[in-house]
Amino acid sequence: MKAITLLLLLLFPFPLYAEFPTGSEILKKIDENLVADQAESLTTMIVHGRAQSRTITSRAWIRGSDEAFVEYLSPAREAGKKMLKLGDKIWTYTPEPNDRIIAISGHLLRQSVMGSDLSYEDITENHRMLDLYDAVVEGEDNLDDRQCYVVKLSGKIRGLAYDSRKIWVDKQRFLPLKEERFAKSGKLLKTTRITEVFQIGERWYPKRMTFKDMLSKGKGTEYIIESIDFNVKIPEHRMTKAALRK
Amino acid sequence: MIRFLVKGLLRDPNRSVFPVLIVGAGVMITVLFYCWVLGVREDITRTSAVLDTGHVKITTKAYGEIPGQMPNDLALSGIGRLVPELFRDCPEMDWVPRIKFGGLLDFPDDKGETRVQGPVLGMAVDLLTPGSTEVRRLNLAGAIVRGRLPEKPGEILVSEEFAEKLGVDLYETATLISATATGGMAVQNFILAGTVRFGIGVMDKGTLIADITDIQYALDMADSASEILGFFPDMNFDEVRALGEKTRFNAVYENIRDEFSPVMTTLKDQSGPGEYLDWVDRWIFIFIFVFILVMSIVLWNTGLMSGIRRYGEIGVRLAIGESKGHVYQALIGEALATGMAGSILGTFLGLGFSYYLQEVGIDISGMLQSAAILFPNILKAKIGSGAFYIGFIPGLGATVLGSLVSGISIFSRETSQLFKELET
Amino acid sequence: MLIIKLAVRNILGAGLRTWLNVFILSLAFLTIVGVQGLLQGFNQQAMDAMIDMELGGGQFWHRRYDRYDPLSIENAHEKMPESLTRLIRKGEATAILMTSGAIFPEGRIQSVVLKGIDPAQTLLDIPSAILQTHGEGDIPALIGSRMAKEARLEKGEVVTLRWRDIFGTFDATEIVVAGIMSTSVQSVDSNQIWIPLDTLREMIQAPGQATLVVLSKNLRNIPPDDGVFVFRDLDFLLKDLTAFIKTKSAGSSILYVLLLFMSLLAVFDTQILSIFRRRKEMGTLMALGMPRTAIIGLFTLEGALHGVLALAMAAVYGVPLLALAAVKGIALPSMTESIGLAIADTVYPAYGAGLVLGTTFLILITVTIVSFLPTRRISRLKPTDALRGKFT
Repeated sequence: MKAITLLLLLLFPFPLYAEFPTGSEILKKIDENLVADQAESLTTMIVHGRAQSRTITSRAWIRGSDEAFVEYLSPAREAGKKMLKLGDKIWTYTPEPNDRIIAISGHLLRQSVMGSDLSYEDITENHRMLDLYDAVVEGEDNLDDRQCYVVKLSGKIRGLAYDSRKIWVDKQRFLPLKEERFAKSGKLLKTTRITEVFQIGERWYPKRMTFKDMLSKGKGTEYIIESIDFNVKIPEHRMTKAALRK
Repeated sequence: MIRFLVKGLLRDPNRSVFPVLIVGAGVMITVLFYCWVLGVREDITRTSAVLDTGHVKITTKAYGEIPGQMPNDLALSGIGRLVPELFRDCPEMDWVPRIKFGGLLDFPDDKGETRVQGPVLGMAVDLLTPGSTEVRRLNLAGAIVRGRLPEKPGEILVSEEFAEKLGVDLYETATLISATATGGMAVQNFILAGTVRFGIGVMDKGTLIADITDIQYALDMADSASEILGFFPDMNFDEVRALGEKTRFNAVYENIRDEFSPVMTTLKDQSGPGEYLDWVDRWIFIFIFVFILVMSIVLWNTGLMSGIRRYGEIGVRLAIGESKGHVYQALIGEALATGMAGSILGTFLGLGFSYYLQEVGIDISGMLQSAAILFPNILKAKIGSGAFYIGFIPGLGATVLGSLVSGISIFSRETSQLFKELET
Repeated sequence: MLIIKLAVRNILGAGLRTWLNVFILSLAFLTIVGVQGLLQGFNQQAMDAMIDMELGGGQFWHRRYDRYDPLSIENAHEKMPESLTRLIRKGEATAILMTSGAIFPEGRIQSVVLKGIDPAQTLLDIPSAILQTHGEGDIPALIGSRMAKEARLEKGEVVTLRWRDIFGTFDATEIVVAGIMSTSVQSVDSNQIWIPLDTLREMIQAPGQATLVVLSKNLRNIPPDDGVFVFRDLDFLLKDLTAFIKTKSAGSSILYVLLLFMSLLAVFDTQILSIFRRRKEMGTLMALGMPRTAIIGLFTLEGALHGVLALAMAAVYGVPLLALAAVKGIALPSMTESIGLAIADTVYPAYGAGLVLGTTFLILITVTIVSFLPTRRISRLKPTDALRGKFT
């Protein structure tokens, strides 16, 4: 048996690998699409609760891999709330009459944002996947009529929220159309799906995504990018705690 | 005849004042005992009724399955319609919405950033509506250690122990960080108006009490509540009526098989207090029965003795020609009068003391080192309907019975002998 | 001596009435001892249960641990000092590691406290050995019956558990309910999941660490605090229970007062009457030369003898009754859970010597006082009037 396998491998060494880029090449291309030095975006989040759904819009600025600023625009009770992430620290600001800056740490980081299936960690993520994960191409698949590579990611640094992920990457546009996030034990914790994409300049970018926590019964959260601008110049004061109160 | 008897009673304090006082004292103790035991019975359920179960409780079906997790995403909605409906269908009961929640209470420094924080269990009740019954029901005024009750929106109370541990002062800003009913992060500022002590270990570690309107706003629960509690008048749990109310209410919503449809349970449905109440009732019955029996023996003794001490007088009356039956009748008549007077006096006094104990109670916190405390430390009596007549069983019944028995000897003795007893 | 003889003869001579009074007094005495004994038994049992299941002979807490703050456990674990590990090796202490997690029964998230315990430990009454015997596969978990009810879990059932290691990485796996223990101690039950200590250490990558260390009940030499682990003695750990029992004791004292009042009323009544009826006897005694004080003494003694007889009577029918209650116990219904204390199904009353002696003393003193009060009248009595059966 082994001999035959070996023989097959020797006879057809290339077709199995030749047309596949390496994992890191794929990650690099994904990062080129998704990771920006800086960007300003307008997003809508639809949270499907057990009783009702809610729609939350926000404007976000991101700079580098670990700085982000989010301002919520609607609904009325969320409007004016802001969130700042600098490095591994997150602050939220609740406007007058509360006028409070609260440092989010430990347990609070794991809380979902506005009741969605996204945690604060999820929502402020702008790391290059390449820096966090080792990638191995496992095969290919067809998803929503798009040809995809199936890539297995395993964490290469300590303390990542998800130890491993599996992504279905569009062969042409290099967007992870589907993603599964796993616990260390390999148990599936969360899935995301990109259901609509758009092109902006050279980049392909998700237009509409769905997040779902796989351990609980929830109906998931939809995330829609209304607009995004990668050429914006973010002023220095934007990424400061003082900006929370402005 | 009656006037004669009454005059005789009034003119001879040995015949009237003393027996009436003894009977009165006995009756008073009986009434007090009865009311006190009822108060103790109530104390057992009151804490859980007031804090948790109500006499009846309405939640959504889904919430009722896991109330311990305080799943406010499963809260009752439309309470603005539901509560008036309940008042319409059952006006003699008090219906109050409440919200239970968990969270962090965070005290900022002067830059508005976190200085100290700690976990709290929150209870939102109607604190501010004029005429709200909740403040009194929870005895919040009595439980205040520092500060005062919330008087306007945005003011809260926390456990004294919690405030002490965090080292926070009155009138400081306290920010509640919690989850909205939809799961988002809720941040809401309050002013710490006062601190309370509950006398229940777990609650003293970190409880927050806020006005329900504030919390509805903070947790995005407009027109919603975790639960609606129903209370009978005077906190008097009436099992039969509670069951009736439950059947009636649940029948209305029976056909809606929605997990968000409201369901009513009674205090007895909650296995803890329910079983406990049955148990306590059994013991109370035994206790009161034995007490009344014993008190009857005491007062029967009194009746017996007041008959015996008057053998001399009876001898004279027989000697001057009164018939034995007439003397016996007069004796019983007097016993009736003293028994009645004593019972009325005793019941009156007993009710008076019981009323005091019901309204004010005995503050045993002095015996417990700590000063102000909410629940178990103010012991209260409770005037049940039985209190108005129970004293008459030993007071009137036993006294008359005692006379009846001691009077029999009138018939068995010779006039001459009774007369002799007068002489000696 | 004469007075004592006289008093005994008089009181026994009074027959039924004396025995009625004595019976009533004895009943009051027994009720006080019984109820107070029940409370003491309750206290003792709750304390024993908490010590056996949870507290041991005291605990060393990680300095950041706070049992009332569920958030504190996240950062409250460290490697133990040598002084504690030595005790653990000798079997005189056992380590417990805690972390928070979430389970997903029926797809709904429920937060839990994960507690790691050495399956081989015998120091606490927790049946941790169940965790040892479990084979390969899913992580075995031991839960209390309350927890089983809350999460609707049954023995052998599998449920998903999610937690994070100390670096923050999510992990999740299935755990299987290896056993459900029934305990009156809520703090080892509600929202608690017990798993093998080493498994938990591995799961959160905290080798050799502990949140607290439970000491053996028999340990005499308690090692000094090292700044990281702080000793908490039983007084500290049992504070809530002590306060609860105090409240209940104070509450029941009102009942004792009323009971005593009732029985004293009977004695008082009897005294007044016997003084009234025995004027001539007093006159005779005075005429024979007995001083008034001696007569007062005689009547007071007669009254007080009621108390003595009551104690004797209580001993006759009460001792078997109380003993039966102490052996058989008194069944309690499952109490309100909100109290948060260890409450057993059956309470075995405990009658301490202090309780019995104290109550005895109380009865004797009060009966004597009540017996004395009506006799003051005698001091105003003139022998001549008394002989004729009159009071002045």
